[in-house]
Amino acid sequence: MTMPATVIQERVGFGQRDWVSGRTLGLILFAGILMIAMSLASPNFLTQETFFSQSRYVAFYLMVAMSQAVCLAVGDLNLTVGAVGSIATVALGLLMGAEQAGLSPWVAVPLVFLIGPLTGWLHGMIITRLKIDAFIVTLSMMFVYMGLRSGISGGNAYTIPQSFWWLGQGSIGGWLPYMLLIALAVLGLTSHMYRNTVLGRRLLATGSNAEAARLSGIDTNRMVVVAHVLSGCFSVMAAIMWASWGGNAAPETGDNWLIISFAVAIIGGTGLKGSLISPLGIFMGAIIFKLIQHSLVILKINDNYSNTVLGALILLAILVDRAREHFDGGRRGS
Amino acid sequence: MTRNNKLLIATLGVLAAILACIKVYQSRRAGASLEPIVLYCVLPHPYFSGVMQGAEAYEREHGVRVRLVTGQESSQANVNQNVESLFTLGHRAFAIYPVDPAGSRGLFDRLKRAGCHVVAYGAQPEPGSAAAFAIATDTRAAATLAAESLVKLIGGRGRILNVLESLTDANTPIRDAAVREVVAKYPDVEIIQTIGDVTTEQKAREKIESALVARGDEVDGIVCTGYTTTVAAAMLLSERHARPGAKRIRFVGLDTDERVLAAIRDGSIDMTLAQNPFGHGYISCTLLGLLLEGWEPKAPYQFIDSGSVPVTKENLDTFEAGIREMTRTIVAELKMKYLNPPNALESE
Repeated sequence: MTMPATVIQERVGFGQRDWVSGRTLGLILFAGILMIAMSLASPNFLTQETFFSQSRYVAFYLMVAMSQAVCLAVGDLNLTVGAVGSIATVALGLLMGAEQAGLSPWVAVPLVFLIGPLTGWLHGMIITRLKIDAFIVTLSMMFVYMGLRSGISGGNAYTIPQSFWWLGQGSIGGWLPYMLLIALAVLGLTSHMYRNTVLGRRLLATGSNAEAARLSGIDTNRMVVVAHVLSGCFSVMAAIMWASWGGNAAPETGDNWLIISFAVAIIGGTGLKGSLISPLGIFMGAIIFKLIQHSLVILKINDNYSNTVLGALILLAILVDRAREHFDGGRRGS
Repeated sequence: MTRNNKLLIATLGVLAAILACIKVYQSRRAGASLEPIVLYCVLPHPYFSGVMQGAEAYEREHGVRVRLVTGQESSQANVNQNVESLFTLGHRAFAIYPVDPAGSRGLFDRLKRAGCHVVAYGAQPEPGSAAAFAIATDTRAAATLAAESLVKLIGGRGRILNVLESLTDANTPIRDAAVREVVAKYPDVEIIQTIGDVTTEQKAREKIESALVARGDEVDGIVCTGYTTTVAAAMLLSERHARPGAKRIRFVGLDTDERVLAAIRDGSIDMTLAQNPFGHGYISCTLLGLLLEGWEPKAPYQFIDSGSVPVTKENLDTFEAGIREMTRTIVAELKMKYLNPPNALESE
């Protein structure tokens, strides 16, 4: 017996027919308004140069934020986002640096990439098997990794061979960076996973109500481990992109990622209490985060206050989102 | 099609149309004039205040506008991000402090490839960098001078505490090596302990205080080759030396924070090395101004030592004049020593 096409489609998409949620639509609108304002403020905003330059940051922020968001979605958090990136960067330098092992990028990058799932698996196992809170586990592991990176590198940066700069500095047609293409591919895959696969739905179910998910037969411990493994993968991808972009592997890489990871994920609509994640929303969050930073330069806002402005705008974004939720709830209630 | 999907298509369509209209309108208008020179400071800090004073003096004296930009944190990532934004606005001449001399390579390369002029100040970028000039204190020479001065102060015999700053600052290993080389020349001098990985004044204070509590009686001298460590050590020694019967620990630091100068004035510490932040700003802008006029560097990369002056109780009130004089001398020599006049290469 064959099922009608519409039923199959609904099952594959788990009943979701909207391409984007109302929340993400709001983010797209907000980013659009920012873009219009900035293009009016600066004649150099709507140029290929700006697109090339700023879209690489968007791609990078997306990776860093996804690293946090996948953990938030299962009701955890990950404070090692930057520290894992830092360790991966030092490893990349040690493997690829001309004065170090001098391995080809085709060998070094896959080896370094393994650090992501391995560290994530370790965090997940400690959290689930020893029943220790994710905050404590990742906080202590963050210090472990930061000490290791300083001890191993002695604070020295390693030069990345120019043969590997293409990933971070290359583009199609001089305006479409490879980094953005990779980030969009990852975005598509992650979106598909959360929207259309059983694994994705189980991850969200774990974040929504772990006890209910467990009683319904989901191995929630396994889902937590999977989330941390994914998180490690995103961190390492961000580190590899950053090293290729800057042309060096500096041990302090990752020092400011933690704030970025929370800020972009939250602006992108990721629920701090789990179960809510939208990779496209996070992508828009990354665009908004970058646009705000770029606007500070364009508008010549007193640099000493730029962090204040940034923080206030993040808070505003959250308040607007909460207000929207409140009114939506009110409408549904009535 | 759902309501959300229709709204999405409408939003994207309207957005694209508005941006296209703005682009067409702007392409018909002349662009606003930009400051020809950008001086990028890493973060609010007394050193960068001095650098900005130099840039402002250049602007006043030459009538060339300089955009002063201050970043949010001391990381190369933050520098790259802000400078890239400035570049996309159309600025084409940059004076930049390379937080990470190796990490700045990618940024400098990109700026140069796009036809920009880049001058590094405050620290030397990695060899092979695309910066045409670096104006900075000769790190090794300054650390050597500091260590030599301390060895003299302790009479060529004793134990010293070697206090380094941020491990991720590429100048730190150079300073450490310079101090060790000096100590190696004197058989009766030894480094009792090296303190490092310090990025803030608080951390410096904690680490130095721990070392002094643990082995203060064994320490004869302290050499600090970073700003935050110098301030922290000066404060701690002021407290320590005010106590009756406390052992006198000789001290040489780097940089001229008001608190350090006050400690020299009241005799709590012996000496610090004054760098030339004013010159870093003034000379960088002068060079960029000349490069924009068409002057050509004589070599792809040239280092200009901005000099450092030992500051003791004797010259506390006069050392700044010496630094300004040093700047004037360097500026007067720029065209002759480091640059070829416009079109000189063509006429040859």
